[in-house]
Amino acid sequence: MPADATTTDVDSALKAEAQEPSFAQKFWKVFRGHPAALAGLIGIIVFVLLAIFAPVIAPQDPYDQTQLDILDGLLPPGSQLWDGTPSVLGTDALGRDILSAVLYGLRISLFVALVAVIVGSAIGVFMGLLAAMKGGWVETVIMRTVDLKMSFPGILLALMVLAVFGTGIDKVIIALIIGAWASEARLVRAVALSELKKEYIDAARLAGLSDWRIMGRFLFPNSISPVLVVLPMSISGAIGAEATLSFLGVGVPITEPSLGLLIANGNDYILSGKWWISLFPGLVLVGLVLCINVVADRLRDHANPYLRGKD
Amino acid sequence: MSDRLIEVEDLTIAYPMADGEVFRAIDNFSMSVNRGQIVGVVGESGAGKSTIGKATLGLLDENAVIDTGGVSLDKVMVTQLEEHAFTDIRGNKIGYIYQNPMTALNPVLTIGEQMIEAIEANTDKRGAAARAYAIHLLEQAEVPQAEDRLSKYPHQLSGGLCQRIVFAIAISAKPDLIIADEPTTALDVTVQKAVLDTLVKLTRQENIAIILITHDMGVVAEMCDYVYVLRHGKLVEEGPTAQVLKHPTQPYSRELMAAIPRIDQKVERFAVPGGLGQAEDRQRAIQYLMSRKAEAGEAGAPLLSVRNLSKTFTTKATALKAASAFKAVSDVSFDVMPGETLGIVGESGSGKSTVGRMILGLHTPDPGYEIRYRGRDVNELTSRAEKLAHRQSLQCIFQDPYSSLNPRMTAGDNITYALRAHGTIDRGEARQLAGDLMELVGLPRASARKMPHAFSGGERQRIGIARALSFRPDFIFCDEPTSALDVTVQAELLNLMKDLQDQLGLTLLFVSHDLAVVRQMCDRVMVMKSGEVVEAGACDKVLVAPDHPYTQGLLDAMPRFRPEDAA
Repeated sequence: MPADATTTDVDSALKAEAQEPSFAQKFWKVFRGHPAALAGLIGIIVFVLLAIFAPVIAPQDPYDQTQLDILDGLLPPGSQLWDGTPSVLGTDALGRDILSAVLYGLRISLFVALVAVIVGSAIGVFMGLLAAMKGGWVETVIMRTVDLKMSFPGILLALMVLAVFGTGIDKVIIALIIGAWASEARLVRAVALSELKKEYIDAARLAGLSDWRIMGRFLFPNSISPVLVVLPMSISGAIGAEATLSFLGVGVPITEPSLGLLIANGNDYILSGKWWISLFPGLVLVGLVLCINVVADRLRDHANPYLRGKD
Repeated sequence: MSDRLIEVEDLTIAYPMADGEVFRAIDNFSMSVNRGQIVGVVGESGAGKSTIGKATLGLLDENAVIDTGGVSLDKVMVTQLEEHAFTDIRGNKIGYIYQNPMTALNPVLTIGEQMIEAIEANTDKRGAAARAYAIHLLEQAEVPQAEDRLSKYPHQLSGGLCQRIVFAIAISAKPDLIIADEPTTALDVTVQKAVLDTLVKLTRQENIAIILITHDMGVVAEMCDYVYVLRHGKLVEEGPTAQVLKHPTQPYSRELMAAIPRIDQKVERFAVPGGLGQAEDRQRAIQYLMSRKAEAGEAGAPLLSVRNLSKTFTTKATALKAASAFKAVSDVSFDVMPGETLGIVGESGSGKSTVGRMILGLHTPDPGYEIRYRGRDVNELTSRAEKLAHRQSLQCIFQDPYSSLNPRMTAGDNITYALRAHGTIDRGEARQLAGDLMELVGLPRASARKMPHAFSGGERQRIGIARALSFRPDFIFCDEPTSALDVTVQAELLNLMKDLQDQLGLTLLFVSHDLAVVRQMCDRVMVMKSGEVVEAGACDKVLVAPDHPYTQGLLDAMPRFRPEDAA
């Protein structure tokens, strides 16, 4: 129950400003007292660092065919390659070191998911704002397109896109973007519609500002928070979707394997006791998605005013 | 006066805060209530009024700590009771009436189900007897067609009727005390009076005491025997109502009394301390605002002239509901002279705000209207520049200070963003202007860098005024600008608006449901009912000796704050 201060006082005003917590402080507050979420956050940081520094850490460049030797094929974890490099996690049928392949695969998976989600969300946010702002036929067209998109299972839609465009990293990203924007558009439109009823929007109209300015400086910053909260969830979803597509053989090419493709790569050998080829990429995939989801859950709970203060 | 019911002694209730400090919602407060007495607890928002009621019922938030003292009911210390012991007290010994009757009733149960449930829980009446008792109670609470109402749901009834039903439930167990927390704040003034009369009648019959928690001095003056004035959790003053209203001894209560707008007399300025900014900055702001190119109209010609203004809101047909049309405003015509203030009063839904919004261009009126501004038909404006100049020349001060500022912009950017976006001023000029305007409305210029959430409601409203002024308007539509504010803040703000109007020669259209505020602010007034103007004329005439029975009804229903008659 904060007192409604009726007097203004420069000193107290400036003091209040100084006490405004920094972004780092706010960020820390979200995770303080939540060991699982904190562990997830640390996990994400480790995975991202591994992906960024993959070329430095990896004992082998799995893209370089000349470094591979068929004689190294199907070595179990803990073996040595013929050139003496230790192969901690074993090798696949082509003689590729699994550790190196997983590190590079992590890179591809993260890159594809991040680009797809960021571009997809940006399109979704724009479409949602546009639908709310313009109303009428613009809104009808956008929202019916969203409904149409949402009525397809995501993977089926992505398969159709890839069947039309062919495969490749860029095509996978396009397929995932097409899958990602619709739910964001729907979310942002709902928030923007309630913001549009507020008086500061009327004030902006009285100032003679154009619809685009109102969208950019008034509607956008006030409608974006829920999207930021679901963003991590979208990223983990996209990582899973990319892995599924690659596993089905319509995703990234075999020369630049992602985690999903590496799992598919070992699929034929699982029953013949060569478990390590699929297991390690699978563990990394599960670990990555789990970490992101735990953090995403925490962010969502924190953003929920009904739960705030109870943690 | 020995039959003591409630005794609050040295009560201190503290809330631990995030930074380790302790916030004292109630600080060393004592009060007592006798059987059958009506006691008022008055104060502005944040004074801790509601906390006292909650403590009595054991409904404090989990993190609240009772530091010292306690509340005793019939000599039993209730603040030390366990949770289960309160079931006997709540409903049975103490009834509670909430501010908003619509949310106090359960929307998915019928009135009958809710009443019978309460009756069976707190009395020994069952089944048909409980039902008959419910009907009896509704009749007591002056609910017409009581028997039919039992099968209705809350949303089918008006707010006033719902509050009467809440009263009926509250008295069903014949409690010793009813705590009424702002029971009429959500209701229209004509309803408020009748509802309060019913409450007093019911409690007098059963000798039930009332603790009336309110911010409205008029309500206290009409209802209460004894009053406690609170501020920041501390007792400021107590005494028999007449004495406190007539001869307040403490500076704060004096200020509070002076801030109350009165319907029966017009004051030049409210006697409350007003914050004036830096003289130099204020002067510069005024110079800027006066430098607008005022197209001198014909002498004696109205600034704004409105003819045959109507507005029909239509809803499209859906699968469940047929299309409907609602006439919010019908055939309204009026003139506003330069420099004058025209008031529009009416109850909620009378269409008063819609009139203003149509003049501003935020709603499109039904065809067949004419709005002339400075002698020109606004529909004849063609060029972009003309339209923009027209739009910016009519500004608005909004009702809700918590939604009228863009929360993602600093106060300064809220004031000057549009002028910068239009290229009217550059970055440096914008900063200068924002600071000057902040000082003009009584805020320190340094606080232009702060975000809106760092300001109180009254301060935000000042920023809203600065934003409206930045366009150098001639005409400002004030849409219930003070209805969300405390009475002392309202007085400061009304003083400020009068000062600005005097200095800048602004023309105001002032919409309010509060006739006393309109009396203070306006030269002429229009009274609206269901979209039509029922009476118009000079304030001193219409609000003193009205011709129309509806206006008379509004005036009669107003709680009178008249300390000199209070004895």
